[in-house]
Amino acid sequence: MSNVKCQNFRFLLALGILLIFGIWILKLSKVHAANMESSRFRIQGGNINIGATSPSSASYNLSMTLGQTAAGQFSRDGYIVKAGFQYIYSIIPFRFSISDISIDLGTLVPNTPSTAATTLTVSFGSAGQYQVTAVELGTLKTLSDNSIDDTVCNGGGSACSESSSNLWTSSSAYGFGYNMSGNDVPSDFLSSDYYRPFPDSTVAESPAVVMSNADVGSNRQSTVTFKTNISTIQPAGSYQTIINFVATPSF
Amino acid sequence: MKNIIIIIVITVIAVIQATEARAQQVSLSISPPLLEVAIKPGKSILIAYTLRNYGDPTILKARILPFEPLGSTGNIKIKNELEGPIQFFLDNADFNLGQPFFLKSADSQQLLLRIKAAEGTPEGDYYYTLLNETEPSAGLSGVSLSQAKATLGSNILITVTESGKIDIQGKISLFDVISRYSFSFFGRQLKLFDSSDLIPVTIQVENRGKNFIKPEGQIELRGNFGEKAEYSIIPKNILSESQRLLSATPSAALDCEDKKNNKLCKSPVSLLISGFFIGSYKLSTTVSFGDGSPNLYASASFIALPLKLILGVLTTFILGFFLIIKMRKS
Repeated sequence: MSNVKCQNFRFLLALGILLIFGIWILKLSKVHAANMESSRFRIQGGNINIGATSPSSASYNLSMTLGQTAAGQFSRDGYIVKAGFQYIYSIIPFRFSISDISIDLGTLVPNTPSTAATTLTVSFGSAGQYQVTAVELGTLKTLSDNSIDDTVCNGGGSACSESSSNLWTSSSAYGFGYNMSGNDVPSDFLSSDYYRPFPDSTVAESPAVVMSNADVGSNRQSTVTFKTNISTIQPAGSYQTIINFVATPSF
Repeated sequence: MKNIIIIIVITVIAVIQATEARAQQVSLSISPPLLEVAIKPGKSILIAYTLRNYGDPTILKARILPFEPLGSTGNIKIKNELEGPIQFFLDNADFNLGQPFFLKSADSQQLLLRIKAAEGTPEGDYYYTLLNETEPSAGLSGVSLSQAKATLGSNILITVTESGKIDIQGKISLFDVISRYSFSFFGRQLKLFDSSDLIPVTIQVENRGKNFIKPEGQIELRGNFGEKAEYSIIPKNILSESQRLLSATPSAALDCEDKKNNKLCKSPVSLLISGFFIGSYKLSTTVSFGDGSPNLYASASFIALPLKLILGVLTTFILGFFLIIKMRKS
């Protein structure tokens, strides 16, 4: 009798394991849709502001928003200007912040990488398509024109470029570069060990897009980590450069 | 004794209250972020921009540079030199374009930008960006540092036209679903999805005309049981002689950290449709560019089957079958 009970228990246990396995197989993929709609309404978020409405009658049709000076389409003899909520679908002005504009790399010690970081923040409205580009205005240089070259990361098969990051972990790989993490950063920055050199405007290199969002978004934030590593033959001095971060909304 | 205690207390308070060193921050906003202007040759207009400083006091400089579209996702490439027949001036009394001005914290500055299309300016579009850039301070001696310069842009789309007519030449260059599983069947390309998959749809419109256009329209999904859903295309400017990926609402974002979405994340997505799908579905789109312009149409299709469900049930049955046989034998 106890043998039968034991068999039943084992059968139920096996069935339970099978059921769990089946549920695991059937586990549906996560849905990340943000559908603000039902059969009766849909929120498109194009123009959420105080007092926004579209009163109309047989003889007029008025689009109304509050909160921005000079919103609307203005036309006179010879020109038409479209500015404001109805035309740019944004109630929040385009805003760009850099948390620290003096990125102190400290005292550079040969074969000891030095890093420092700053945070970029972009805030925009519901039509918040934007980009941030970066370009250096020359390499890291002293007043006597000694310079630290832009990094090629670990080099060889792990070489990086202005448009493609790669591993920079070797203490004998020298140069100056940056890593990106956070929202809307290029997908090739796979980890905090991946770096790129900045494009150099003094040698006519095009700025690199370091943040970009083709979809809607607000308060997008990323961290730029600057890194430099010098060799034992690098002349002593204060090495400095300027990085120009250009934030522009889309058209 | 009492005096000593008072001195100690004051010293402690003074030490605690000592202000901490704070990094210099730049935080600027500009409004409007985008300006669309249609203008006749020989005319000029005045636009008021508001530049606000939310960060530390800073010195700024405004300038105008032309841009061109970069890729199809709405990015731009700003050119290095001002070119073209459009002239720009600042009507501000105390500074002009290219001249520095000071902006205090929590203060704003109005930039009165005058845009002039000179007589004889050829009809067409001209695209510029108003750039407001911070002036980096002098470098510190004794330390190695990288100074960040912040530049904030606002795009200006100018259409020069004598008659007010716009050259509209749009074309749907891509309309399709992006599937992980696609195969050819009797010469027909079939796109297969699991019933619970998100359906990524991509739509790209090309502008072959001389003026920027703003397409509007719908994407419609029809199932084989008569079910129907409509999604509105969000109007976005497509600059002359360029392409742009459009978006439709309701939109959503793919989880690109999920490795199974690797392939999908490499392709631009206009719309993600969620739901439970079974059978054959047809997607169609209608795009228009305003009154008087012809509508454009395109379609695509896909098949959805409960692949995960079938696989799960089959696996469970097969394993269960073998387990029962084994248990009976024992």
